[in-house]
Amino acid sequence: MINPETLVFVLIGASILLALVVVIRPSITASREGKVIAFLALFIVPVVTAGVGASEHIERSEQTQFCLSCHIMEPYGKSLYVDDPAHIPAAHFQNHRIPADQACYTCHTDYAMFGTMRAKLEGLHHVYVYWFGTPMSPIRLYHPYNNRECLHCHAGARSFESATHMAMMNDLKTNKLSCTTSGCHDTIHSVDKLGEAKFWKPLE
Amino acid sequence: MLNKLRISGVLLVFGFVVEALSLCWNTALSFMSFVVIGGLFFGSGILLFLYSLVASKDSTLES
Repeated sequence: MINPETLVFVLIGASILLALVVVIRPSITASREGKVIAFLALFIVPVVTAGVGASEHIERSEQTQFCLSCHIMEPYGKSLYVDDPAHIPAAHFQNHRIPADQACYTCHTDYAMFGTMRAKLEGLHHVYVYWFGTPMSPIRLYHPYNNRECLHCHAGARSFESATHMAMMNDLKTNKLSCTTSGCHDTIHSVDKLGEAKFWKPLE
Repeated sequence: MLNKLRISGVLLVFGFVVEALSLCWNTALSFMSFVVIGGLFFGSGILLFLYSLVASKDSTLES
């Protein structure tokens, strides 16, 4: 089966050839068929090809590699390999409790109605601040981490339905009690302590 | 009108090239390059083509 990425490149190549036909022989527009070809080559096909390219880029923006491509994210990528089960992101990442190739996006998106779009728009803002502004130091979330992102996966899971969790479920669901800042699961990326940490080295 | 078509085509070809190059890497910078540079080429090429449609007085070849 042909790789979807290859298909995108084939589409781009075909689009270039079609546009070059009009560039080299614009006189074809003298005929009706030529006008149709020009309309396809210089309007319809570019719109479609740009849309396909944008879609491919947006898909790729969900990947861990994309997030970690900015230098400022390097410690956060490193924190995924900390050898300590108490480190929440590391424990999730290393045990594939979240997709390893979409680790950042899985936890740092909002599962509400416009969640994925909002996450992507915030990502654009991150890029803007990184290149043209002053990133905050240390980096902090724009809003407190919503328990919904944890409960999205954990709610209903047998291992989660302990007496402790069930006793505080209402408070968890309403965010009165935070999963990550109430003393229970507070060790998140902890990039300031990476110097003292041990790291897991995957075999492959 | 023929010149406008040529220029429009050239701009779009540049846009396609930028798109292809931007897809060779998976970084925030390549994404922004596609959006900003590619978007400029695509936008200007398409707009110029559309303008050439409404600006030409005659739909046949210019003499």
